[in-house]
Amino acid sequence: MRKITARVYRFDKEKDREAHFEEYTVEVNEGARVLHLLHAIHDTLDPTLSYRYCCGSGQCGSCAVRVNREPVLACMEEARDKITIEPLNLPVKKDLVVDLVPTLETIASLKPSDAQKMPKKSDIDAIKPLRDCIECLCCVSVCPAMDVIKFLGPTAMRQEMRLALDPRNIDDRITAAVQEGLFTCTSCQACWKVCPKEIEIPGKAIEKLRYFANKKGLTLPRHQEVAALVKETGRSVTRIEPTFMELMNADVIEPTGPVKATVGFFIGCMYNMRLPKTALDAIEVLRRNGIRVIIPKEQICCGSPLIRTGQLAFLDTLKKRNIDAFWNRHIDTVMTMCAGCGSTLKNDYKTPFVVMDINEVLTKYGIEPPERLPVRATYHDPCHLLRGQGIYDQPRQLIRQVVDLIDMPSICCGSGGGVKSGMPEEAAALGERRGEEIKKTGADIVISSCPFCEFHIAGHTDKPVKNITTLLLEGYKEKDRKTRTLTDPPGN
Amino acid sequence: MLADEVVDCHVLVIGSGGAGVRAAIEASQYGDTVLISKTIVGKGGCTTMAEGGYNAVLREQDSCGIHFEDTLKGGAYLNDPELVNILVKEAPLRMGDLIKWGAVFDFTENDEVAQRPFGGQQFPRTCYAGDRTGHEMMTTLVERLDSSNVSSLQEFTVLDLLKNGESVIGAIALDEKGNIVLLKADSTVLATGGGTKVYDISTNSSSGTGDGFAIGYRAGAELIDMEMIQFHPTGAVFPYDARGRLVTEAVRGEGGLLLNNICERFMKQYDPERMELSTRDVVARAIATEIQAGRGTKNGGVYLDVTHLPREQIETRLPVMLEQFLKFGVDIRNQPMEVAPTAHHIMGGLRITTECRTTLSGLFACGEVAGGVHGANRLGGNALAETQVFGKRAGEFAGKSEKRIKKVDSEQIKRKLAYIDAFLTGSENPAGVRTLLQQSMWQGAGIFRNATDLNKTLRIVNNLSLAPIRAESLRNLAECCIVRNMCLTASLICRSALIRKESRGAHLRVDIHQTHDAIHSPFLHTFMSPFREGIENIGGLA
Repeated sequence: MRKITARVYRFDKEKDREAHFEEYTVEVNEGARVLHLLHAIHDTLDPTLSYRYCCGSGQCGSCAVRVNREPVLACMEEARDKITIEPLNLPVKKDLVVDLVPTLETIASLKPSDAQKMPKKSDIDAIKPLRDCIECLCCVSVCPAMDVIKFLGPTAMRQEMRLALDPRNIDDRITAAVQEGLFTCTSCQACWKVCPKEIEIPGKAIEKLRYFANKKGLTLPRHQEVAALVKETGRSVTRIEPTFMELMNADVIEPTGPVKATVGFFIGCMYNMRLPKTALDAIEVLRRNGIRVIIPKEQICCGSPLIRTGQLAFLDTLKKRNIDAFWNRHIDTVMTMCAGCGSTLKNDYKTPFVVMDINEVLTKYGIEPPERLPVRATYHDPCHLLRGQGIYDQPRQLIRQVVDLIDMPSICCGSGGGVKSGMPEEAAALGERRGEEIKKTGADIVISSCPFCEFHIAGHTDKPVKNITTLLLEGYKEKDRKTRTLTDPPGN
Repeated sequence: MLADEVVDCHVLVIGSGGAGVRAAIEASQYGDTVLISKTIVGKGGCTTMAEGGYNAVLREQDSCGIHFEDTLKGGAYLNDPELVNILVKEAPLRMGDLIKWGAVFDFTENDEVAQRPFGGQQFPRTCYAGDRTGHEMMTTLVERLDSSNVSSLQEFTVLDLLKNGESVIGAIALDEKGNIVLLKADSTVLATGGGTKVYDISTNSSSGTGDGFAIGYRAGAELIDMEMIQFHPTGAVFPYDARGRLVTEAVRGEGGLLLNNICERFMKQYDPERMELSTRDVVARAIATEIQAGRGTKNGGVYLDVTHLPREQIETRLPVMLEQFLKFGVDIRNQPMEVAPTAHHIMGGLRITTECRTTLSGLFACGEVAGGVHGANRLGGNALAETQVFGKRAGEFAGKSEKRIKKVDSEQIKRKLAYIDAFLTGSENPAGVRTLLQQSMWQGAGIFRNATDLNKTLRIVNNLSLAPIRAESLRNLAECCIVRNMCLTASLICRSALIRKESRGAHLRVDIHQTHDAIHSPFLHTFMSPFREGIENIGGLA
């Protein structure tokens, strides 16, 4: 037996004006789960604590709660000391019990019909991965889109995809999915990262439904324009100023000191054409830290804006051109700076080379310590970096070398998944929420590592938004300034 | 606390597992149907936890006759043959319904529903969806329910049946806040599932508390064979709080081996022919014997090993097992599982006809709460089939029943109100009573039984059922009622186990020397109601 102390959310809507937390200390067995901790509280300390559970073995989806803000199944999550247990982000009935039914009722069902065709093994195999859902609604609890716009949510989309794949279904599920908010998903990946059954809803349901919607001519007009532009120019944005690639004279950039590593640089449309200055800052930082950078001129859009919006018609051409651009030059490590490109190259491509994000490159080979700057920063985790590539520590390590870092919850800013172009109001609403979070931290500046996030958040906060490499470069400039002040004779 | 909420319907279905939802779907074709559930529909009950499969004769090489024979033999010939006949004939039809409604069972290369071998069966006839078969069925049934016009009352606790004279005319229930609700119905279907939560170590969900047995008994229905408790051979043994969690028979169906601590396939001592795929009563006793003889593991189990199987087979056919054990630090692809018997299923229950009529007019029963289908031991895969076959029948015959006068006698309501009000002034912690009950039942009414221990356990159970348990608030009333139901169900088990003075199927009386085998037993069902109890003999009552 061991002692565990936990803070538990309490709220009785009939008695309490607002929710509060209560702290309990109980004895639990070795290996106890959060559910057993709740049982111990209920059985020995406070029988009025309400929580829901049923199977106790991860199969019914009744007991989902948030532990330290993360949705989990109480029956499967190990109980640890000093945890905070809260209900899912859904209307609370009492304490940890939330109202699941209204959401469950929106999930579509297969309508029996005599006209239906029986499935084949291949249909069954395609449907099965979408069928493990236990409707615990962890995904709904974390979906940012559902908070700001009408969207039935991740598991409803999973079900639409499951129906769309089934020959026994005779309804038009694609049009239904579009009406239910298919295009509101920002592809932030939060849903499948918390899914106890690890159902990859964004990739396996939402993007596939968008592909089916595309075949039915239901792609949003703005998304079609982007696809047309990629097809015509190889880039997802138009040229409005000299691009990064135009500004770089050489295609091999040598570091100032000894070479620690050589990488091919996959620049991406946004840094190339909208934020070239940021990319130039990155090059400065890489040069200073011994990274030789090769920039093949043949590279084009990675295809992410097409994949996320279900427009796959000429995707294979893009992939081939990009892979050839680097592989023909015998590059074995390709570095991305754009979180979206990085996630796409890592997850949607089969590359003969290794793909690394710039944060991984800089932390792997180590950086010269920059000068510390007297500002407090907060960091916005780009979805495609944190959840798309699992990169959490590296950017924080880099930032902390320059400034004090105040963390904030990792929530989507609204710029991904084609939402900024296709659903601008939703993107703005999510951007505003980020602005509020930034304000709460009291930070002077916002750091990120994704051109979409940086560009979008800048429109929703009064604090300066900077890329990590720009911050590092400022640290180096300050360092150089101080060194000069020390060595230069006064009055010169 | 007044009963001002009144629901009036044609058919009331109590319980939202596989049998209840199937019954409600069927009944709704005949009139207003209300489904009342202690949990959220689709999440409660044990169907959704059922892993292994659903037995149905689907191939030409197999036959209903063989399925019938396997079921009777597995059930030690205590089964009601007419019910078994219905089970084997209709299981394939009900499987057809599930497929038509969208169920995603595993298919063969020939695009047919795949089947695997299960214990005690001469043909591999267990249909499956990986090892989440019950979940697949429940998902399908709830989808079908959504497109019916059944009204669902979710997270309501039924306290008792309402009666008008000798007829059942509905039920009295509590909502989640502890308010009384009256439900009047022409026909009532009891589909509350099982009750092995009365044991300390059990596979059941939180709803397996035996409420239906207790509710049926109090209303005057007759129950049979309540001593017949199936101990599933393979339950998890650690961590402590996960003890008893089901490790599906599919593990052995896929080729898993049972080994003791000297790495011996000990089943060769107990059933050399069928080995690991012997019937559950035999395997459970074998494992318990090995552990008692000191050939168990450190954690008090035996090994169940699949490490010799291809990794892909484990990943695709047993994904839930893989995931659950990984959560507790065991990778079953590389390490053996540790398992021990766990209380799993109650074969006994309300006596029913082939039309699912109980001994009370207006009351139907189906699924685990009904008795007679499985005899003295249930074959793996027959319970899921039972939910569908008898769920459909209960719904159909309840639906076809005549309208009746539903005059609610206010004395009945007053008595029930007084019963629950007493909890508000009680003094004892119901959780403590529940724990004592579970431990006593495990110790004295488990796999190996004798009259001394059964009598002792019965005395403890009877005392516990008188404990002045306390409800801290109106919301805690349901919990108190459930603890009382558990006590009553436990007492029915002990009393029936004392009455059956023979060893048969899952019921083993170590204190009785016996010369007959199951097929030559002079005994039939034990029976129990508020009015009479005893055991049927071949040729008359004892």
